[in-house]
Amino acid sequence: MTETAFSILFRRLAAAIPILLVVSAVVFVVLRLIPADPLGMSLPPNATEADVAALRHEMGFDRPIPEQYAIWLGHIAHGDFGVSSHFRQRVTGLVFAALPTTLELVAAGLLFGVIIGLAGGLVMFAGRGQLTERATDLGSIVVMSIPEFLWAIFLILGVGVAWRLLPFIGRIDPQMSVPSRTGFLLLDSLLAGDAAAFGSAVAHLLLPAFALALALAPLVMRVLRSSLADTYLEDYITLARLRGLPEWRILLAHAFKNAALPTVSLIGVQAGFMFGGTLLVEVIYTLPGIGNLMVEAVRNHDLPLIQGITLVYCVIVLVINTVVDIAYLGLNPKLRRQ
Amino acid sequence: MNEMWRRALAEPRVIVGGGLMLALLLIAVLAPWLAPHDPGDQDLLNTLLPPVWDEGANPDFLLGTDSLGRCILSRLIYGTRVAMTVAIVAALGAAILGTVFALVAGYFGGVLDWLIGRAVDVWMSFPPVILSLILMVGFGTGLRNVILAIVIVDWTRFCRVVRSEVLAVTKRDYIPAARLMGFTHVQVIVREVLPAVMPLLLTLLSIEMGIAVIVEAILSFVGLSVEADVAAWGVMIADARQYMYQAPWGLVLPVLGIFVAVLAANLLGDGLRRSLDPRLSQRLAAVR
Repeated sequence: MTETAFSILFRRLAAAIPILLVVSAVVFVVLRLIPADPLGMSLPPNATEADVAALRHEMGFDRPIPEQYAIWLGHIAHGDFGVSSHFRQRVTGLVFAALPTTLELVAAGLLFGVIIGLAGGLVMFAGRGQLTERATDLGSIVVMSIPEFLWAIFLILGVGVAWRLLPFIGRIDPQMSVPSRTGFLLLDSLLAGDAAAFGSAVAHLLLPAFALALALAPLVMRVLRSSLADTYLEDYITLARLRGLPEWRILLAHAFKNAALPTVSLIGVQAGFMFGGTLLVEVIYTLPGIGNLMVEAVRNHDLPLIQGITLVYCVIVLVINTVVDIAYLGLNPKLRRQ
Repeated sequence: MNEMWRRALAEPRVIVGGGLMLALLLIAVLAPWLAPHDPGDQDLLNTLLPPVWDEGANPDFLLGTDSLGRCILSRLIYGTRVAMTVAIVAALGAAILGTVFALVAGYFGGVLDWLIGRAVDVWMSFPPVILSLILMVGFGTGLRNVILAIVIVDWTRFCRVVRSEVLAVTKRDYIPAARLMGFTHVQVIVREVLPAVMPLLLTLLSIEMGIAVIVEAILSFVGLSVEADVAAWGVMIADARQYMYQAPWGLVLPVLGIFVAVLAANLLGDGLRRSLDPRLSQRLAAVR
């Protein structure tokens, strides 16, 4: 098991490097198509021609694109992602400051989504042929039809504005502050032993995480339902029935584990998409994560920052895929023996 | 083919989803006749009006006005144009591009398959939203560029799924048989392979229409889609977000517009999948 996990890890890493190279080259070239002048935003209106030329030279925009790319790549290899043209700070610093917010959000969204999805899928299948199935079936299609950013708005309007149950701006109550050690607010507030801050951070996380979860849950539900349907055609289910096992035990103890595989790989793929979904959710809930940073960078034509964040997104998606592959291996003994 | 349509039209989801889609399409086409006002006309004496069912409404503006006093109903109706243009043109474009690559990869295999497969890998390593944002920065705003960006981002959705179906179809006996009868590769692909993957393709296409609407809304929400003076649902959401306490309807209504469009696309797609994919219906029937 460990050996195959390592070989997967190795294979994935070997495949990841060319992918990242191509991705970064594509991004680099696409961004150079930019019709607006990327420097326009970072100079005062009374800048002279000479100022523009100086800045252009400083940022390296006066060189040919392949050369710019080679220089940029050389810097990346040394861990240097350059300086944001809008914020005038190092890209790495900006990204690392923002990343924990996004990771916290995705982790919470995944957790909620998987729990709701698995429970829903089991209920949907257990109620097959009855009204429950029709209701959950239709319900899941309706939920699926609403992208996470619309859920985010609905939740703000309902829970936040109309009922005033939960906060929906920022990560924590503005009057509270927690010393930042890890950047993960939940962790930091626990480390500081500040229960009130922890409570506030959780409350602020609930709505955005739930909005993300609602995009994942119906998919999990439906895939679990259909793979349970496949599993129920197997002989051992009939056998378990003949042995007189109660229906709920057959479902939970026998069918569920074998039906979980397609669900796991779906969750893996969707976790990657969820990272994309955080972008809008962060903007709507004013969470200072990398999604919000990306939107800022895009609005300000901040090419170094856009390139840096894109690469971070790609790396995270690759990492998630690798983790899912290894989890898949752990769940499927058939693959392990090879 | 006729059998296929008959089965599809017997499925209530196809009727409801398709009907909603047609209705939206009609609204989009007839927008200048349906809209009571010009979507850009500002009435600064009548800003943030509530819809007629609320107190203080002005019957001139059935669904109220936004912060610049523009008629929300008219903007919704004109927003349908952007949404439907994107839904149809971008989804078709992505479908055509993805299917062509899928047919080439799945039918010919070998180096072509490998190359296309790696390209899909690279594409899938971006979250789609990020890729479309980058493309919009590179291309600049405007409806044509939004469509182009969606096609470039979403062709992989078709390519991956259709390719494996093509691979399965190509292994069937009737494909070499067609070759032996003297069909050229192009003839085999067009006459034998393409019809076999058509049910899958139609399903994906209708789901993609919903995705295209969402992507356009996201891009216009962050101000990277259509030009500033064009009424689009995402733009309306971004504007109304600032005033959600005073005028929540301004936010709810465009959200509902997107919801209806996406629901229609998903219902249609789900209905097509159910009625056109006999394997799935058999599987589901067996456990009932």
